[in-house]
Amino acid sequence: MLRTHMSGDMTPRLMVVGCGAVVDQYYRGALRKLESRGIARVVALVDPDPLRTAALAQHFRSAGAFATQAEALARAAPDLTIVASPPSSHAEHAVAAFGAGSHVLCEKPMAASVDDAQRMVAAARAAQRVLAIGMTRRMYSSLAEARALLAAGALGNRLRFVYREGGVYGWPVTTDFPFRRSTAGGGVLIDKGTHVLDFLVALFGEPFVATYADDGHAEGVETNCRIGLDFPGASGMVQLSWSQPLANGLRITGSAGQLTLHPWRLDAVRWRRNGGAWETRVSPATWPRDLRRGGPRGTPWTYEECVYYQIVQALRAVVHGEPVPVDGEQELAVVRAIHACYRQATSLRLSWLTQSEQARADARHWSLQP
Amino acid sequence: MNGPLAILGAGGFVGTRMLEIAALRGRTDIVPIVRAFRSIARIANLGMSYRLGDASRPDSLERALAGCEAVVNLTTGDPAEILRTTRSIYSAAVAAGVRRLIHLSSAAVYGQVERPGLSDDAPPQLDHWMPYAREKGHAENFLRERMAEGRLAIVVLRPGLIWGPRSPWVLRPASELVSGTAYLVGGGGGVCNLMYVDNLVRSINAVVAHPEQVSGFYNVADDGTTTWREYYGALAAGLGVEMATIGTLPGDRYRAGLSGLLEEIKNNLPPYQWLKRGLSTETKNAIKLRLKRAVSRDRPPPWNGSPQPVATRDMWHLQATRNPLPTARFQATFGHRNLTSFASGLAASLAWLRFIGLDEREAVEGAVASAAGVATLAAERER
Repeated sequence: MLRTHMSGDMTPRLMVVGCGAVVDQYYRGALRKLESRGIARVVALVDPDPLRTAALAQHFRSAGAFATQAEALARAAPDLTIVASPPSSHAEHAVAAFGAGSHVLCEKPMAASVDDAQRMVAAARAAQRVLAIGMTRRMYSSLAEARALLAAGALGNRLRFVYREGGVYGWPVTTDFPFRRSTAGGGVLIDKGTHVLDFLVALFGEPFVATYADDGHAEGVETNCRIGLDFPGASGMVQLSWSQPLANGLRITGSAGQLTLHPWRLDAVRWRRNGGAWETRVSPATWPRDLRRGGPRGTPWTYEECVYYQIVQALRAVVHGEPVPVDGEQELAVVRAIHACYRQATSLRLSWLTQSEQARADARHWSLQP
Repeated sequence: MNGPLAILGAGGFVGTRMLEIAALRGRTDIVPIVRAFRSIARIANLGMSYRLGDASRPDSLERALAGCEAVVNLTTGDPAEILRTTRSIYSAAVAAGVRRLIHLSSAAVYGQVERPGLSDDAPPQLDHWMPYAREKGHAENFLRERMAEGRLAIVVLRPGLIWGPRSPWVLRPASELVSGTAYLVGGGGGVCNLMYVDNLVRSINAVVAHPEQVSGFYNVADDGTTTWREYYGALAAGLGVEMATIGTLPGDRYRAGLSGLLEEIKNNLPPYQWLKRGLSTETKNAIKLRLKRAVSRDRPPPWNGSPQPVATRDMWHLQATRNPLPTARFQATFGHRNLTSFASGLAASLAWLRFIGLDEREAVEGAVASAAGVATLAAERER
């Protein structure tokens, strides 16, 4: 439910906590579109760096700029708080938002630790507020199509998968927080792995981490990793990289057929029955474009559009009580899997290292450090 | 050395390997310098301390170079920026009191290496059609003039195609071989002037460790002569690809096909370049998909179409190279010898291709797309 504001204006009010690269690259455009369509209004921007809030405030005339969330909450009463601060601060900012009566849309990764994630879920439950997690790939219509094919048994049983996602990191981060274990909790596993694991959870259910290896040294975070995973009815391997290209995509093989998804092909999957020809299938799945019941629907084509639809879904959860694509309780499975990975981390065999280099890399692996 | 060694362009392909080797040997006298935080990602596993510095701004770079004894320039990026960046690095190095500058140029300054026994001091081809080669040549000439002033020792290294695990010169031919789009010019008899990345790193380290303040230009390359046919043949054999699937182009002159012409027009069109740089990879792919879908009138566009060989002008010229680069001068001056043979480098490269999943045929088109995406991201990162 929305708050009733003094002005009587029932347009949902948004607070953005953390105004770094993800907000500048993806949320800014989506939020402007929401404002221009009269769907929501940004009332507060929070970031310790005044240059960032000032730059963003130019796009949102009615938004106040604040250095801390506490200052912002003293002046504004948001209906929905978008938490886009560094992951190690997500719990603090989400819990504070719930305490002030706001619902929360939290950027991925949900939290830097299982304890933090559980604290967020408990706070949302106690406050009876929505905790939506920003897993934009849940908005991909390719995911809906893959789920439909799996549900129809098109691939048969004994499912095996390989999911690779890698490339040279190009995200225009404004700090080095993503590259420190103390602030990010990890490296490529936390970053890309959150998306990839969530995608697999959406397809197969709760994961069990069988094996995990990465290339992080004592003072670093992993830039390459491999995970062996078991799900109910499926098992396979995930490989992630920040430092090099991989043969990107998800390939699922079953007793009756094969399915392929590419990370940049949001709209379609490719599949074939055993012995048959490959077929490209576009999903008819759509999402609501605004808050009206029975209003127009659409399909996101870009990552930016996914963010727009994701915010709309979070607002519809607030206004109409509809389910969000993924909530905090569901996302706990991903946070737990990531931390299961780190608990059993071993040194990854890097094919380009000489034997002596690999031995030194093994000895420097972060898991061996006190 | 009495002070640390600064690495500019530390987040690039060569820089990453150089830092990896240094970290695994426990060296603590290396200072990676990056222009933006995102460049740290590629070396984030090493946990090395770094400094921020913009190679195109001498004031920013001078601070980053403070206290350093030597600096290695491995920066890449927009050809139009090469000369400006080289000037900036030189000014900053002088101002910071750096004693030795090692500048990575390219054998591309000699075009197709048309003369045998080319002197290391031979002037670059400044009228080359390729902007990269031309600008590298201008940067060399700038440094040649500075060498005469003697304010610090300047060593310019000219490698050929830097190959090995994680190199575009392995990924590109391997992706083309696997997707059936590889081709050889004139039967592949041209010389492929390869330089294995570890051999290059050792060459740079040999310059840094040299007891005297030497200045000069030096060609560097792997031992022996490898033709393009031998290189592609070795990769194809390792990937299980039949040589018969490799196309052949006439070697007498470059003939631009429709795809090649389109590529050239796109690459020389400033608005296209501006868009290519400014848009995210996801957005570019979404636009391409929308265009494809509009053309196919709302039927699902093909997954990736049937890939066709695209004979680019730069690749044609590289494959038409006639002579190997003489490297005797470098070896004589720095007492250096290459430790990695072609066979060892090839084995490591093939192991890497398996590591990234390129040998899995079903995933091939993803890898090709990924290679294109990586090139874009790498260019973005270096800017």
